[in-house]
Amino acid sequence: MSIYSIIALSLLVLLAGGFYVGRARALRSAGVALSSLHSLPNYHGYYVALWTGLPAFLTMLAFALLSQDASDRIVSSRLVELSAPLQSAYETAMARDQEHADLSGLFAQLRARSERLSDDIQRLRSLRGSARDPDALQALQEEHVEVLNLITTTQAALEDRSDLIANDVRAAPETGALPEDARAGFVFWIGDGDARRLFLGDARNIAQGVPASRHADELNVAAQMVVETDVWIRNAMIILVYGLALTGFFYSRGRVGQSFRARNGVEALIIAFLFLSSVIAILTTIGIVASLLFESMRFFSQVSIWEFLFGLHWSPQIAIRADQVGQTGAFGAVPLFAGTALITLIAMIVAIPIGLFSAIYLSEYAGSKFRQTAKPVLEILAGIPTVVYGFFALLTVGPAIRTALAALGFEDVVTQSAFSAGLVMGVMIIPFISSLSDDVINAVPQALRDGSYAMGATRSETIRQVVLPAALPGIVGAILLAVSRAVGETMIVVMAAGQGANLTANPLEAVTTITVQIVMLLTGDQEFNSVKTLSAFALGLVLFVLTLIMNMIALRVVQKYREKYD
Amino acid sequence: MKGVPLDQDAITADTDTKIKARNVNVYYDDNHALVNVSLDIPDRSVTAFIGPSGCGKSTFLRCLNRMNDTIEGARVDGSLIMEGEEINDPHLDPVVLRARVGMVFQKPNPFPKSIFDNVAYGPRIHGLAQSAEELEAIVEQSLRKAGLWDEVADRLQDPGTSLSGGQQQRLVIARAIAVNPEVILMDEPCSALDPIATARIEELIDELRENYTIIIVTHSMQQAARVSQQTAFFHLGELVEYGPTENIFTNPQDQRTQDYVMGRFG
Repeated sequence: MSIYSIIALSLLVLLAGGFYVGRARALRSAGVALSSLHSLPNYHGYYVALWTGLPAFLTMLAFALLSQDASDRIVSSRLVELSAPLQSAYETAMARDQEHADLSGLFAQLRARSERLSDDIQRLRSLRGSARDPDALQALQEEHVEVLNLITTTQAALEDRSDLIANDVRAAPETGALPEDARAGFVFWIGDGDARRLFLGDARNIAQGVPASRHADELNVAAQMVVETDVWIRNAMIILVYGLALTGFFYSRGRVGQSFRARNGVEALIIAFLFLSSVIAILTTIGIVASLLFESMRFFSQVSIWEFLFGLHWSPQIAIRADQVGQTGAFGAVPLFAGTALITLIAMIVAIPIGLFSAIYLSEYAGSKFRQTAKPVLEILAGIPTVVYGFFALLTVGPAIRTALAALGFEDVVTQSAFSAGLVMGVMIIPFISSLSDDVINAVPQALRDGSYAMGATRSETIRQVVLPAALPGIVGAILLAVSRAVGETMIVVMAAGQGANLTANPLEAVTTITVQIVMLLTGDQEFNSVKTLSAFALGLVLFVLTLIMNMIALRVVQKYREKYD
Repeated sequence: MKGVPLDQDAITADTDTKIKARNVNVYYDDNHALVNVSLDIPDRSVTAFIGPSGCGKSTFLRCLNRMNDTIEGARVDGSLIMEGEEINDPHLDPVVLRARVGMVFQKPNPFPKSIFDNVAYGPRIHGLAQSAEELEAIVEQSLRKAGLWDEVADRLQDPGTSLSGGQQQRLVIARAIAVNPEVILMDEPCSALDPIATARIEELIDELRENYTIIIVTHSMQQAARVSQQTAFFHLGELVEYGPTENIFTNPQDQRTQDYVMGRFG
């Protein structure tokens, strides 16, 4: 059991104790006349309990979140401090070392020569006609390659030299009273950012008895420091947490009394808690949108927004490591938009008539018994996981379409097609449309139907000319919600529509959608800074904006409708 | 409570009879909502149905154009003869009947259409107009009869719901008139309106009496006294008393009628 759970449990006990003490004290101060208390005794109990538990618990939480970072900072600053004598020794040795100085000079000269060469090459290339001398250009380029190789070897030698000096300094006997500590500090200090993080991580692993990436004397020294720091932080936390709990307890207990307004205090806290919850929900949304936005901006700094929005070729396969062979990648998203639109269109052609007609039948014609059975059955469709629809589309609908078309004489029809994906997605969306439309049709006031019947209209005339026009805004809202659902749907399309980014209007070909591509881009082997990965964020942004616009229109339409009849 | 037996004189008015009801019973599932109602409604006059809530007056009204058909579990027994034809005959097409017996409801219920289309609704579904001009003429005439033409002539394409409550109720009356019915049923047509709009509708009812048989259900005794020639008092599903309005209000025969019109219950 970790120290945090022990503290949390003991705080719970204290909190319960605080409740009873506060309550008892309130009852005692009230005497026989309970109504003389401003707040009910339980509120006094909650008040004391909250003061006892909440600040202490929040402090513990802060420690749990921040203690490792703090401990790392303390340990690293101590290590740097300890290595101070060795640091100055290293600086002196570096300054004194002739070989290092020579290498530095050579490095600088080579850099200058390389720059001059590349200038010359540029100038030669810009010349036209007879003035352009291919042989001279060739010679210059060869020389440049040679110089670049020299630069690489010199740089390596320079680094080797400074490593050597560092090793000498570390090995030198005259390094002060605490050689182990100082050496450990020096090893830490000489490294760059990544090396320092690795060093600290290893030290922490050794301190906690977890296997580390390597073992060394200086790491053991640092591990000892980590252990000491952690113990110090833990003790500080224990004192602080229990101190706060006791202070809170005595402070609040002292305030409990006849006229004390415990209820107001408790309720203010509850309101603050509710507010915090809603803020968390809103901030999360803002955070997601912001991350989409910033990553997309990084993408658009490498690929122009026009190319992305209007380019006709999508092929994001680029080399993600320097040693890989790959294409340069094309990021024209029109085939994805078209694929999304095609599948959504097919799904809507399936879902809108069936959903709407079933809603009309259920709400206007069906007897109440049939409605009571049929509606839940229809709504079960909405509860089927989309992945199940996906393999239904892939394994049942796709082959069935191929067989049917083969019988009609079409030969090379693929199993994965926009048609099978759209068909199954349409089936998935039927309950959305039928259920929402059923609700809005039922919300049309009976008075309108009566009015129409009283005019001698038949049932179908009434539905067509009075009920549907009255329900139209709500039905439009339902359809828009269904469309945004279809646009965002992923699983069915991944499985049933294929992955080829074909720009086609033929529903029997494989197409791909925005969501499928996002899945493809972000799964498997990848690097998070490559254009390929960043393009997923741009696609996500497009998807977000699309569904946002549709949801906004849908909500607006539905709202307008509500105002009219309520 | 037993109903007072009604003799032939009491249920028959002296003018031409439009609708002759005999022993009408209505059941909503197991609830016996209307018990043995028999009365004659005279042509081209206003007949008011009064009585406390739940007394069956609206139920009886809805029998006259078979609107009870639209309620699940409702059953109507007995005979309702209009112009020699049995209203309650299951073979009678309610669509044809309702073209002859129009209805106006408690709450104005204009359709979600323009003012013009609201009035043109009936003529269109019954195919009453051969041409667009004829339809326009019917709409104008109906709106004029309902006393609404001057107020809406320049905005016939506005939605019907954009009118005020009283205007909406007159629009609905125009809509009912447009199919040229013989009878107009009004189910508490003024209960959702302010006094000025109410006065306007009452005036209209008085004008319409020349051409139509009007049956009005009302909670307002003053209204019944102002607009109707005959009044029927219903209580607990029974027809208690029926006769010329004057008699009902000044010289009621039944104690319950007297108590009700004096405002002692209801």
